[in-house]
Amino acid sequence: MNQKPNVWTQVGCGDEGTASFAMDAVCDVPRIPHYLMRALLLVILLAMLAGCGERGHVYRQQAYTFGTIVDITIWGHDEAKAQQAMAAVFADLDRMHRDWHAWEPGPLYDLNQALPSGEWVKIPEPVKPLLRRARALSEKTGWLFDPGIGQLIRLWGFNDQFYNRTEPPLQAEIDAILAKHASMADLEIEDDRVRSRNPAVYLDLGGFAKGFGVDMAIARLKELGVTDAIVNAGGDLRVIGQRGARPWRIGIRHPRGQGIIASLEVAHDESVYTSGDYERFFDYQGRRYHHILDPRTGYPAQGVVAASIIHDSSAAADAASSALVVAGVAGWEAVAKAMGITQAMVIDDTGKIHMTPAMAKRIHFEVSPPPEIILSEAW
Amino acid sequence: MRRGDVLALLLAVSILPPLYAVLWHDGRGGDYARILVGGQQRELVSLHEDRTLEVSGELGVSTLEVKEGQIRFLASPCPGQQCVHNGWIHFGGDVLTCLPNKISIAILGGEQRFDSVNF
Amino acid sequence: MSAPLLRHETLIARTDDFRIAAWAALAITIHILESAVPMLLPGLKPGLANVIVVAVLVCYGWRSAAWVALLRVLVGSLLIGTFLTPTFLLSLSGALASVAALYLAWRLGGWFPRWAPGALGYSVLASMAHMAGQFFVAYALLIPHPALLKLLPLLMTLALAFGIMSGLIAAAMVRSIHGRERTDQIT
Repeated sequence: MNQKPNVWTQVGCGDEGTASFAMDAVCDVPRIPHYLMRALLLVILLAMLAGCGERGHVYRQQAYTFGTIVDITIWGHDEAKAQQAMAAVFADLDRMHRDWHAWEPGPLYDLNQALPSGEWVKIPEPVKPLLRRARALSEKTGWLFDPGIGQLIRLWGFNDQFYNRTEPPLQAEIDAILAKHASMADLEIEDDRVRSRNPAVYLDLGGFAKGFGVDMAIARLKELGVTDAIVNAGGDLRVIGQRGARPWRIGIRHPRGQGIIASLEVAHDESVYTSGDYERFFDYQGRRYHHILDPRTGYPAQGVVAASIIHDSSAAADAASSALVVAGVAGWEAVAKAMGITQAMVIDDTGKIHMTPAMAKRIHFEVSPPPEIILSEAW
Repeated sequence: MRRGDVLALLLAVSILPPLYAVLWHDGRGGDYARILVGGQQRELVSLHEDRTLEVSGELGVSTLEVKEGQIRFLASPCPGQQCVHNGWIHFGGDVLTCLPNKISIAILGGEQRFDSVNF
Repeated sequence: MSAPLLRHETLIARTDDFRIAAWAALAITIHILESAVPMLLPGLKPGLANVIVVAVLVCYGWRSAAWVALLRVLVGSLLIGTFLTPTFLLSLSGALASVAALYLAWRLGGWFPRWAPGALGYSVLASMAHMAGQFFVAYALLIPHPALLKLLPLLMTLALAFGIMSGLIAAAMVRSIHGRERTDQIT
C-alpha cells in the first residue's frame, strides 16, 4: 500500500463531505443539529479529561495506642491537612487510652478504687460520656456484655497484655468470683455521680472504650474538615465518606488460618466491628481460652469464634459484637434483635457462617470453597 | 499509510501495555515491608530478598522471615504467639502485628486489595 | 429510515438508501457467515463485517457507516435469531462503541485533515472500541466477575490484530470502490 499513497489520501476520503451533504438533502435520516454534535463531542472530551483529572491520594498512618495498632486512612488532596488531622487524632486517642484504662493510674482507675466503698462518687469528667452509654448498652445485651466483671478479667490475666496465663484458673477461683455476682447492673448513675451496690464491681471497659475512642476520633476528623477517612483500631473500624469515586473496601480477617475470610464495601459513616477469639488467647490441653468471657459461666465464651457487625454507631456495635460471641449460636439472633442490629455475621466453631439477610447482601467471601452459610430466619 | 493511520495505530498500541500492567499484575504482592516499633518506623525491608532479621521491641527481640515476596513472624517473645500463628502476609496494605512486643509490619506497594482490614 | 410524511415527500428510496441497503446486506451476510464459524472464545470474532463499515465510512461518510453498522446488528440478529438475547446486547454495545469511536475520529479528521486516518486507522480504532464496549457491557451486566478482567488485555490485543487485518482488507476495498465510482461518473 506504500506504492500509491495518493490513492489513499486524496481519493479515498476526498469527497466524503459532499457525500454526506448530498445524503442529508436526499435521504430522510434523522438529523442532529451541528451545534448539538459539537457540544456532545466537547462533553465527551471534558469527561475524558475529568476522568484523568480526578485524582486524590490516600494518606495512611499507623500508631500504637489504645493497646493496639491504630490505623488511620484519609482520602484527600491536601497532604498537610491530612497529616495534621492524623497527628491530632493519635494524640486524642493516646489521652483517651490513659483516661479510660482500668488497670493503670488514671480517672477510671481512680473511680474503680473508690467504688467498693458503696458511697456516692463523683464521676471523673473524662469517663462521664462513656459510663452512662456503657451501662445502657450493657443492659440492652441482657448483661452479656458486662464491663463490671473486671475481677474476672484480672483472674484470667486478660487485663495485662504483657502477661499471658498458660493454664486456666482453678474452678474454685472462678466460682469465688462468680459468687459475688459483680455486674454493671449494680451501678447507680445519677447526673455526675455514681455508686455501687456491690463492692466486687470493677469496671474494665476494654474494647468498648476502644470503640468509643474510634467514635471520638471520627468526630474529631470531621471537625478538622476531613470528609473521607477510615479509623481502624483492630476490630473496631469506622469509615466516613468514601475513597474517591468508590466506597471503602474492607477485609475481615479469617478467624482461623491466614488472611481474609470476607470483604465488603462501606461508605458514608458506617462501622464494621469484629470480635473474635483470636485476638487474645492461650491454648491449654488442646482447648482455646480467649479474652471474651461469659459473665454467666466465668469461662471464655463457647461455640462462636467471631462475630462481625455493620452498624451506624460504633459504641453499640462494639458492645454487640462481644455480646454476640457470648450469646453463642443459639442466642445471637435475640441479642442482635434487642440491640436493633440488622447486619450481623457469626462464625461458629465448626466454620459455618450464620448471618442476617441484610449482611448476606453485602458480604463477599474471599475463600474457596465458599463456607457453609446459614441464613437467619429471624429477620 | 496515512499519518492518521500511524496515529491511530500508536494510540491503539499504547493502551495495551498499561492494560497488561494493571490487569495482569501478577502475584499482587507488595515490594517492601515497613516495620514499625511502637508506631515509629524502624526499618524498610525489600520483600524480594530472602532473609531473616531481628527487631527488638518492648519485650525483646522478634525474628522476622522474608521469603519469596512474603514476610512473617518466625519467633517472638510475646506470651500469646498470635503474631507467629498469623503466618505470612504479602498483599499490599496487609498488616501483621505483635501487640505485646509493639511491632507491626505493613506491606507497601503491590495491589492493595483492601483499604483496611478488620481483625 | 422513517419517512417524514409531513414533508410530502415520496417514499421512493434514494440512491443513498439503496447504497446503504446494499452495503448493509453485505455486512449482514458476513455477520451471519462469521457467526457460523466456531471460535475459541465466546464473543471473540475477527469482525470482518467491520470491513464494510469502515469502507463505507471512508467512501460515503459517517452517517452511512452508522446505518450500515446498526442495520447489521439489528437485521443480523433477527436473521440468526439472537434478537434481544445477551448475544445481541453484546453485539449492539460493540457496534455502538465502534460507531462512536468512528464518529469521533471522523470528526477530528474533518477538523485536522492532515491527520485524518484512512481505512486502516479507522478499522483499528473501531475494532478496539468494539471490543472495549462489548467487554464493558459483558462485565457490567452479564458476568461481573473480577476474573473476567484478566481476559481484557488479551482480547484488546486480538482486537488490534483483527483491526489491522480488516483495515488492510477495507483499504483494498476502498481503492476498488473508488475506481468503480469514477468509472460510473464517466459513463
